[in-house]
Amino acid sequence: MSKSIKWVIGIVAVVVVVAIGYFVSRGPKEVSEVPIKIGMVAPMTGDLAFMGEGIRDAILLAKENMSSTKYTYEVIFEDDQLDPKMTASAVNKLISVDKADVIISFSSVTGNVITPIAEQNEVVHFGIASDPNVAIGKFNFIHWTPPSEENKVFIEELQRRGIKKLGVFESNAQGAAAVMADLQERLKGTDIEIVTDQVFNFGEKDFRSIIAKAKNSEAEIYLLMAFSPELEILAKQMKEAGINTPLTSIESFELSEQVALFEGDWYVNAADPTGDFADKFKTKTGKNPTLGAANGYDIFNLVVAATEKIISSTKPTPDQIVSELMNIKDFSGALGNLSIDEDGLVVSKAAIRMIKDGQPVSVSE
Amino acid sequence: MNILPQLILNGIIAGAIYTLVTLGFNLIYGATKFFNLAHGVMAAIGGYAMFYFAKTLGLNVYIAVILGVVLVGLVGFGLDKLIYRPLRKRKASNMVLFVASLGAMTTLQAVIAILFSSQFKTLSQNFGTQKFFIIFGGTVTQTQLVILLSAVLVMAGLVVLLYKTQFGRAVRAISDDEEAAQIIGIDTNKIIGYVFFIGSAIAGLTGILVGFDVGIEPEMGSNLLLKGVIASVVGGVGNIYGGVLGAFLLGFAENFGIWKISGEWKDAIAFALLITFLIFRPRGIMNK
Repeated sequence: MSKSIKWVIGIVAVVVVVAIGYFVSRGPKEVSEVPIKIGMVAPMTGDLAFMGEGIRDAILLAKENMSSTKYTYEVIFEDDQLDPKMTASAVNKLISVDKADVIISFSSVTGNVITPIAEQNEVVHFGIASDPNVAIGKFNFIHWTPPSEENKVFIEELQRRGIKKLGVFESNAQGAAAVMADLQERLKGTDIEIVTDQVFNFGEKDFRSIIAKAKNSEAEIYLLMAFSPELEILAKQMKEAGINTPLTSIESFELSEQVALFEGDWYVNAADPTGDFADKFKTKTGKNPTLGAANGYDIFNLVVAATEKIISSTKPTPDQIVSELMNIKDFSGALGNLSIDEDGLVVSKAAIRMIKDGQPVSVSE
Repeated sequence: MNILPQLILNGIIAGAIYTLVTLGFNLIYGATKFFNLAHGVMAAIGGYAMFYFAKTLGLNVYIAVILGVVLVGLVGFGLDKLIYRPLRKRKASNMVLFVASLGAMTTLQAVIAILFSSQFKTLSQNFGTQKFFIIFGGTVTQTQLVILLSAVLVMAGLVVLLYKTQFGRAVRAISDDEEAAQIIGIDTNKIIGYVFFIGSAIAGLTGILVGFDVGIEPEMGSNLLLKGVIASVVGGVGNIYGGVLGAFLLGFAENFGIWKISGEWKDAIAFALLITFLIFRPRGIMNK
């Protein structure tokens, strides 16, 4: 081979290598430059700040533990103090200013505010909420143990303990209403009777008259469906009224910062997160995961898993993310094996827990 | 039928709380003739002042109560001196004063939330374990008895102040006709300032007592003020005795009203009572 031909081959080879390198690095780098924005709206101040902070820490943990991805992800946190007015303002800011692609919310009250906004703006919304209305629409999902699962476990426990008369104190709020509607339906055909059902408004502080009404009912156990601080005030006023009947709840006790008030009481909650998640969370924050933290962790990972399946030279759209989310089955999450059903619900299990030495603990079967 | 004594006691205690709010509100309204919306936030300031003095600084509870009440009185006096008096000097209408009081309420609430956070707090040292007593088959706590006693003492004190002292005569003169009071030599601005001090101090005491009974939060005064206004309208705005009557009527209506229906109707019952009186007897049970 002559010297000049060798030169030509060498130059062509270099050009080809450089060209390949340029196009290979250009493709994914351009796509991943525009991050997928995940906004979280939750109480970061106020009575339930400890829960909002727990979910925030779990999402940050999920982001830190993320393996290498095609696309980049950014998380933005907004405080709503669990006030629907502030929720609307926060979510509008996330959509109009931050251009969020996904929004995570906490509670049925605020989730119901976001659902129509997300649907109208075609933004993916995941609610950590029990009211199934939060998942209405193509773009809305729920990751929370559904009332049906919780009530199934609750009724089984009541029957196991031989309890036939149930008294209820419930807050006039969507989440509690959804759980109660399902419970009343499931109790039909059983020998368990709701002997008193006292409803009170959000923000009520004087429960003494409804407690007096309930006291006559001979309930064997009282189910408290309330948020803090109504939950603690109600429990305190029940004690002051001389009610020593056991208390129980579906989720509520872990919404309180004063769980010691419910020492010795059993209740139904979402199933325990996996040990692996709990260990990682504790290493990061120094605390055990709060209620909803594992859900936040899973939601972030579900969104990433769905998005990574999208092959696109531009940033995936929420529409594409939704399509991939609906295909998710048997995803290994912090709350076990997760699947998303046709209604947009991520079904997870419920479990019995108890407050022991001021801490929530699982009750072994 | 053992629910009846409890409902009566609950009505009395609620009436006592509303009485405390109404007394201060009516005292200020009587002298100034405008709805002072900032009156509610004075209760919140009282509660948080108590929290700061007793829990943060660790002062003796009784000293903390006195300091808290005096502090709130001074805040009320300050509001009058800095905001309402200049507006009165400019012959501002009652609507302007009302709006100014709304601004004061909003600002003070925000300041409380910034300083203390909006998280619900309790003043009681023994949350959930305080002493309670059985009276005629109903249960009442130590704090509730203190609330009742306070309402009685404050009302008695106010009656003595208004009807047995020169200051009280001046207040009543201003309430009847401010201009005429000025003509006869009463320093109306000074008297109104003292009225704001006393009225606000009573509201502060209310906030402290409610704080011990239930707890405190920055917006706690709004609901208390609303109930105080309803009690005033029902009893007769500006009338001390009418306000007390209205307060107890409201307390009983709320508690007996939900005897046979759901507790979520409580607030609706209060407003139904207000609307009924506005339509059929707008001057209230007792004329001024």
